[in-house]
Formats: sequence, C-alpha cells, structure tokens
Amino acid sequence: MSNSTTIKRLPLRKKRGPFLYFILPAALIVGVVLVFPIIYGFGLSFFNWPQVNDGTRAFINVKNYMELFKDNEFWHSLFLQLGFIFIAIPIELIIGFFVAILFNHDFPLSGFLRNLLLLPVFILPILSGLTWKLMLQPRYGAITYLLSLFGMEFPQGILSDQSLAYTAVIIQDIWRMWPFMFMILYAGITSLPKDIMEAAEIDGAGFLKKTFSITLPMLRGTITTAILLRTIDALRIFSEVFVMTGGGPGNGTMLFSLYIHKQAFEFGKLGYASAMAVILIVISLFFAFGLVRKNMDIDTM
Amino acid sequence: MRKLLVVLLTVLFATMMFSQSIKVLAWDDAHSQSWNTLLKDFEKATGIQVDLELIPSGSMLQKTSLNVTENKANYDLVAIDEGNVAKFGDLLLPYSQWPKGKVYPKVGTNDIPAAIFAAAEWGGQLVGIPNNGNMYIWMTRKDLINDEANKEEFFKHFGYELQVPQTLDQLMNMCVFFETKGIYGFAPFTATSEGATCEAVMFFESFGTSVLEMVDGKYEVSLDREKALQAIRFYKELMKFSPPGAMSMGHAERIGAFSDGLVFSMFQWPGIVPSHENVDESMVAGQIVYSAPPAGPFARTAVRGCWIFGIPKASENQAAAAEFAYWVNNHDVGLKLAEEGMTPVRTDLLNELSGEKPWYTGMAEAGQFAVSRPNRSVHYPELSEVIKNNWLGAVTERITPEEAVENMVKELNALLESYE
Repeated sequence: MSNSTTIKRLPLRKKRGPFLYFILPAALIVGVVLVFPIIYGFGLSFFNWPQVNDGTRAFINVKNYMELFKDNEFWHSLFLQLGFIFIAIPIELIIGFFVAILFNHDFPLSGFLRNLLLLPVFILPILSGLTWKLMLQPRYGAITYLLSLFGMEFPQGILSDQSLAYTAVIIQDIWRMWPFMFMILYAGITSLPKDIMEAAEIDGAGFLKKTFSITLPMLRGTITTAILLRTIDALRIFSEVFVMTGGGPGNGTMLFSLYIHKQAFEFGKLGYASAMAVILIVISLFFAFGLVRKNMDIDTM
Repeated sequence: MRKLLVVLLTVLFATMMFSQSIKVLAWDDAHSQSWNTLLKDFEKATGIQVDLELIPSGSMLQKTSLNVTENKANYDLVAIDEGNVAKFGDLLLPYSQWPKGKVYPKVGTNDIPAAIFAAAEWGGQLVGIPNNGNMYIWMTRKDLINDEANKEEFFKHFGYELQVPQTLDQLMNMCVFFETKGIYGFAPFTATSEGATCEAVMFFESFGTSVLEMVDGKYEVSLDREKALQAIRFYKELMKFSPPGAMSMGHAERIGAFSDGLVFSMFQWPGIVPSHENVDESMVAGQIVYSAPPAGPFARTAVRGCWIFGIPKASENQAAAAEFAYWVNNHDVGLKLAEEGMTPVRTDLLNELSGEKPWYTGMAEAGQFAVSRPNRSVHYPELSEVIKNNWLGAVTERITPEEAVENMVKELNALLESYE
C-alpha cells in the first residue's frame, strides 16, 4: 500500500476546529442576547422579586404560576392577544395574497404602486400608534371625520369604547402589516414556475381554479413562513398599542405583552412578570413548532 | 521654573484633597435644567463640586433603586417622586438630622407650604425637602368672566356674580350658562393613566371621603359609599359639558381644547401651564385666572404630586448634599433660577413672582389645600390601578357608579389582604 493512498483520519478536535471558529461569534451573540435572558427569566419566574421594600428575592417554587392561573386579568389579556392574532393575521394574509396576485400581472405604474404599498411596513410601530391615535381623535381626527361623512358619528371617541378600541388596534395592525404579507407572497408567486400556469390555461382553468388549485397549494411553504413570522411579531406587539390606548379603556386592549409590562415595570413584580413571559415563550414555541413542522411536511412531499 | 511647578502641583494636590464633590441625581426637564445654568455660582460660593446627572423621569425609579440601598449610595442627593417616598423613605436621612448650611441657610418648614412639605413625610417624619410644588391649579377664562354681557346675563339667571368658581356647584352653574354660548364648561381627565386616579382622589376628597386611610401604619379602605357615589355622579354631570372626546381625554386633548378657547374652566399641572400662556401655542394666553380648585360640599382639594430631595443615609457627603438642596430652595438663588425656568416651591417666591407668572398665585393658593394620593405604600401602583379602573369605568359609563364603588372597595380590600 503506497503512502499516497493512505487515508489519514484527522483527530475529531482538529476536524471541528474551523467549524467552531465560524459558529462561535453567532453562538456567543445568541447565548448572550437570547439563551441567557430566557434561562434567567425562567429562573426568576420561581422567585418573588418585588421592586419594592428591600427588593429581596425569595424562592417561592411555582407560586407565581399558580397565582397566574387564578388571575382573571391574565386570562383576559391572553384571550385578547390570541384574538388579535387570529383576527389580524388571516385578514393581512388574504389582503396580501390577492394584492400579490394582482401585482403579478403587469399594468401601468405597477412598479411604482408596488413600492408605494410597502410604505406602512417601514413606519415605526410607535409612530403608527401615535398617528392612528390622532386620526381617531374625536375633535380633529381624519378617520373620525371621514366616518362622519358616512353618518357614523362617535362623539365620545372611538378609543373610549372597549370594543371599538380593540377593533381600532387590530385595524391599525392590519394597515401596517399587510404589505409585509404582500412582500413575502409576491416574492413567492413570482418565483412559481410559469409553465404550470400556462399548461393550466391551455387546459381551460379560470382565475379561481388557477388560484385555489395551483397557486395556493404551491405557495403553502411561503404562506407558512409568512404566518410564522407575523405570528411571532404579533405575539410581542407592544409599542403601538401602548401609545394608542395604554391598554385601555379599562383593560379593553390590555394585550399580553402590555400586561407583562404593567406587572414588571408598574407594579414592580419581576418574578410574576417573568412567569408570564415564560408562558409567552411557550405559546410562541407552540406556534413555531406547529407551523414549522407543517412546513417541513410540505418540503418533503 | 521648578519652584513654580512645585507650587502648581501643591495647589493641585490640595484642591484634590480638600475640595468636596457630590453626585446629584434628578429628572430631566426645564425645572431641573435651570440648576445647571447657575451651578458654577454654587460651586464658587461653597467650594463643592457638583456632578449633576439628569435623566428621563421614567428612568428615575430604576436608577435610584439600583444606586441607593441601605449600605450603598452612589449619589449623595436624589430627587424622588412623591409616589416613591414609601419605597426609599427608610433609606433617607430624616430632615431633622440634615446639617445646617454653611453658606445657604437650612430651609425652614414654614418657608414652604406645610401641605407641600408633607410630600416628604414618611414614617411620621420628614425625610427630605420638596424641590417642586406640583399640584392641581385651577384655570378659568378671564375674558369670559369679565365680559359685561355675560356678567349681566349670568346674574339674572343665577342671582350671583359671574366669577372664578369658588365651589363645584358654582362651576356646574357656569357650565350650564356657557353651554348656551358654545363654550364647554369643563375638560375632564379620562385617559387611562395616573391622572384619572388624581381626578378620583380630588372629587372623593371634595365630597368628604378618602379611598384609603392610614391606620397604625397600614392602609385601610375608608371609602364612604354614599359620598363616593355623589362624587362620581357629580363628575358625570360635569362631563356633559365637556368637549367631544370627553371619554378619553388625556393631557394632549385637554391642553388642545383649552388653548383653542373651547373650555371655560379646568385643572392643570403647573408644569403644563406655560404652554397655555405661550402666544404661539395658545389662543387664550393672557386670558387665564389661576386659583385653587373650587370647593366641594366638604372641602377644597388640590391633588399633589411633588418631587423631593433626599439624602441617602449611606452618603458620605451629607453636609455638601444638604448645602445643594438649600441652594436650590434659597430665596435669592430662587429668583435667579426662576428666570432660568425653575418653578419655585417657596411661598415667598411664588408670591413675589406672580406678577410675571400669574399661575404662581394659583400655586400658592392651591398649596394650602394640597392632598396626597394614597401613595404612602410600596404597593401604591396596584392600589392606584384599582381606583383608576373603577373610577374610569363609572365616569365613562362602562359600569354603573354603584358597581364601581363596590368593586373598588372589594378589590382594594383583596389587595390589602394579599399584602398581609
């Protein structure tokens, strides 16, 4: 056996070396900004750590979780949060999908209009919230004025009514985020193979048939990704609602993240708020795993 | 040359060894920024170097919590919002133990209205000195009450002079009267924030009841249901004479409505008043009378929300820190600081400067009737949440006044029990 044909096995440590060097910076960053806070927050959720008195931490086992499940406001905020997700995201998806289909056809100024439609996504959430608050102002709000032209008067203010305020928060989110859905779905639609569509057209398939039998099934992966990204984003919605309603009137728009903020930074209950944050992580993971698994199935089909 | 160098080094060494420096933490606004403008004068007069750190008011609680403990004081003097006195009170040097000033005399408890000084009270003693006199002052449109036609017509209808409302009943009459003139009588505060608790406290106290009372160092629910209901119903009546959007009026909406000339009379915090008196921002600048709020059936009350200066017990520079606090509240220095944007808290300064800044008269008057929120508890934010939610629920008609009062009592009792 000549030396040239001998396969020299590198030691495992040497084999892993370059790989580790490349992954180390990312692992460090993820560790510091993600893994550590999650572990720390999880640990805190078993403590009573009030930012009052002498601020002493006391281990209380799962008491925060027990209290949480007895807290009506916790369930209420969770209900509002899930309602927000299940109402806003499907609407954003539907608008985004059909507008993406529309822009898949060439028409005059389509490029310009496409860019224009994306503008709301680039607006800071806090600015969006403030703008909507002003637009809904009963005395000089633009939306209030427009609604009054159609005979819909709200002299006491839209944001003064719990149901209307909740609706306004959802509409604000739909306005700001449907172009995000559009962006992703448009990219997906334009990358679909043209020949399948042409074949369908030759076979006499109409618009609805093509949309629901070809486009939608082929876009399932893209749609899942879009929903996943939006769901994660919607779970941590905070600033726009905070400036628009502050969680009010009453607790009518007290979404989950606002309630966590209130417990942590207004009431100074860091342990209790951490327990809620853990629940939020679990819900996020539940959504993520569910959707990703679905996505994987599609990929392996 | 060598001798000169030695002299210079000696001077430098002596300066480092013997000059004193203090660290001061305060919130950042026009009031506190004024201290910076004359800081050099203080340093020259006292030889004390000041490291004044101004941060957003929202970060003060966190920063103070981290830097002032029983054994540690990274600041020698800290500004503390009245609502947090309960949290830090035990860590602060009682005012009776503050050393005498070497350059600026110790501020006497008579120099500042007693009701304002009470903002610094904790555990039966003063633990600091107020550095702003923040409390409700009442604003009334001078042009409307001085109008001869209005005066005559009002007298004919109600049998007394049209004037700054002295009682809530008079305010109601004036609301009714000005409705016919297209002017809203009153602008409420109904945004979901601490301001709503302030309104609740003002009206409950005016009608003769307190939400919570301190008994043996602990809060107990003391709400008189009947008086509370009267207060809520009266407020709801007043809201009928409010501008559109009365169900969710915060500072921005109230400032806008009053400055646009739509509102006859309402309360305001002193820090916001300058915008009403700014001709670039307000159509009623120069047309406002400032006074204490009108009296309810039981009392005249002005809700207080002052900041105090406290010296941490763990500070090693207590005398120098006290000197700085005396400087801020000194009469002669106060005259100069007021020009730079500080709102003084001393009674004499408020009276002397009321010609230039007419709302100081209102502050001096209101200071006599200042009441605190039930914030002498580390759990105040939670207690306030219950008061606010139920008060707003009733006045914005989400729940009945009866339900609001019952809920308030029940929920407050449950909270207090949970703290046991």
